Amino acid sequence: MYLIFCHKSVILNKLIKMSLFIRNYKPGVAYNAQILWRFNSTTAETVKQGEDEEEFRVLDILHKKGKLQKRVNRRADIQPDRSEKMPTDQNWGNVWPGPRSFHPSSVPLPIRQGYVPKGQAPPGKKANAELMKIPNFLHLTPPVVKSQCEALKKFCTSWPKLLNSEEAIEKNYPMEIISSDYCHASPTIRNPLARIVTLRVKLSNLKLDSRARDKFLRLVGDKYDEKTDLVTLTADRCPVRKQNMDYVNYLLTACYHESWTVEDWETDKCLEDMEYYDFDLNPSKKNLVNWYLMSNNEDNNLNDEQVKNFDVSKIPNGVEYKSAVSELFNEGESDLALNKYDTSVRKLLGLPEKKIAN
Amino acid sequence: MNAIRGLWRSAPLVRNVILNKSTLTRPFATATITPIKPIEDVPSAIELDKLYKRVELEMRGIDPAVLLSYSWFCIAAASHLGIEVTKSWALRKAEKERHTLLRCVHIYKKHRVQYEIRTYFRFIHLQRLTGSTCDTFLEYIERNLPEGCALKVTKVECQKIPDHITPPQE
Repeated sequence: MYLIFCHKSVILNKLIKMSLFIRNYKPGVAYNAQILWRFNSTTAETVKQGEDEEEFRVLDILHKKGKLQKRVNRRADIQPDRSEKMPTDQNWGNVWPGPRSFHPSSVPLPIRQGYVPKGQAPPGKKANAELMKIPNFLHLTPPVVKSQCEALKKFCTSWPKLLNSEEAIEKNYPMEIISSDYCHASPTIRNPLARIVTLRVKLSNLKLDSRARDKFLRLVGDKYDEKTDLVTLTADRCPVRKQNMDYVNYLLTACYHESWTVEDWETDKCLEDMEYYDFDLNPSKKNLVNWYLMSNNEDNNLNDEQVKNFDVSKIPNGVEYKSAVSELFNEGESDLALNKYDTSVRKLLGLPEKKIAN
Repeated sequence: MNAIRGLWRSAPLVRNVILNKSTLTRPFATATITPIKPIEDVPSAIELDKLYKRVELEMRGIDPAVLLSYSWFCIAAASHLGIEVTKSWALRKAEKERHTLLRCVHIYKKHRVQYEIRTYFRFIHLQRLTGSTCDTFLEYIERNLPEGCALKVTKVECQKIPDHITPPQE
């Protein structure tokens, strides 16, 4: 009877232990007997009979012990990385077809990234946040870019062969339209700066005579740059680029045709209104011509128009005199201008050269 | 084009036949509605491709390494598409936008803290693109713009001086 009881208690003990084990079992966690000892307080009576365990074979009808061993040993089989199974001649564009944040098991590269104290190796690619933060270009490898460009090539056209130099472009297409596009990450895809349109054209490419040119320059004001001979018209007053483009074209057209119109009051301009010294209009030329004709004993009855059209280059040293006088008036008095005037007058009148006083 | 238009004007018979045909095929239900005058289809002028003398790309971003990779990609794409790249460079230093604040919110004016936002720049100049090439190329590189980068494209288009810019005939 006792024996039977004893047997029963041992079996019971085993069963309790097993049920506890099954309750506490988690895959991957090694079974540890120490975990159990706290539950032994509930079965304190049977622990003392632990020595007796060896004496009695346990009847294991259902082969639970073997099964359990098996279950402990069986672990979820972790697949090796995809990157380790990749063939070396694969098409990388198929593995990584689009932009994506870094994934360590898809990239067969021994990448390391991160800051570490001196003498240590940076962390590897697995579970490395540094590699996931930075945008990668794994979808834009050179062969992929090349094949994509090959596919895009049918939408492209070649530049005309005859426009092979800056001069040729400048000659045939003198007008420049400058505008900007913006691409950025922001809540809106619109950028108000994209509306601005600039038109640039060389003044020498517009057909203007001297009067119209003068008027055009007065109309455009500081939009003309003397150094480069460029007229730059910028429009940003309308909300849309198309409107600004039309406005810029309108400005050019209006200024151009306005510069060609001659108002009635423009003929009233006299010598005092001139903003620069024109030798041909001034009495200085009349005096020069009169002096020249008198000294050659020719008739001296030229009217104003004839004097105005008289060619100064007929007079020996006349051109030099003209430039010296114009410079003196236009650029103001300076030692250089005065000396130039001095020498030109001496040459004109056939006077001896100035002696430099020591 | 003028020849076609001339033909159109000089052949009322042909035109009538065409116009009548369209009214004849109209279903009966709509016959009560006043017939809409068919729009004379003006043959559109041939649209010429635009010519871009120069295209300037300005990239700005928070990471110089990403910008460098992106500029490599742009140059590679341009060379595959047969676009001339004239220049490619980066600014030596980043543009820094600094904000100086009090270290403590309300008091201790002597003690400040400075925050800065750095923006790195890269530039690429391309030249001599036709309109279709330019559109294709820009679409391609703009779609592949990485995160944290912005792209500004300045296009210099060259055009003929319009016909009305001629001295007025008296």
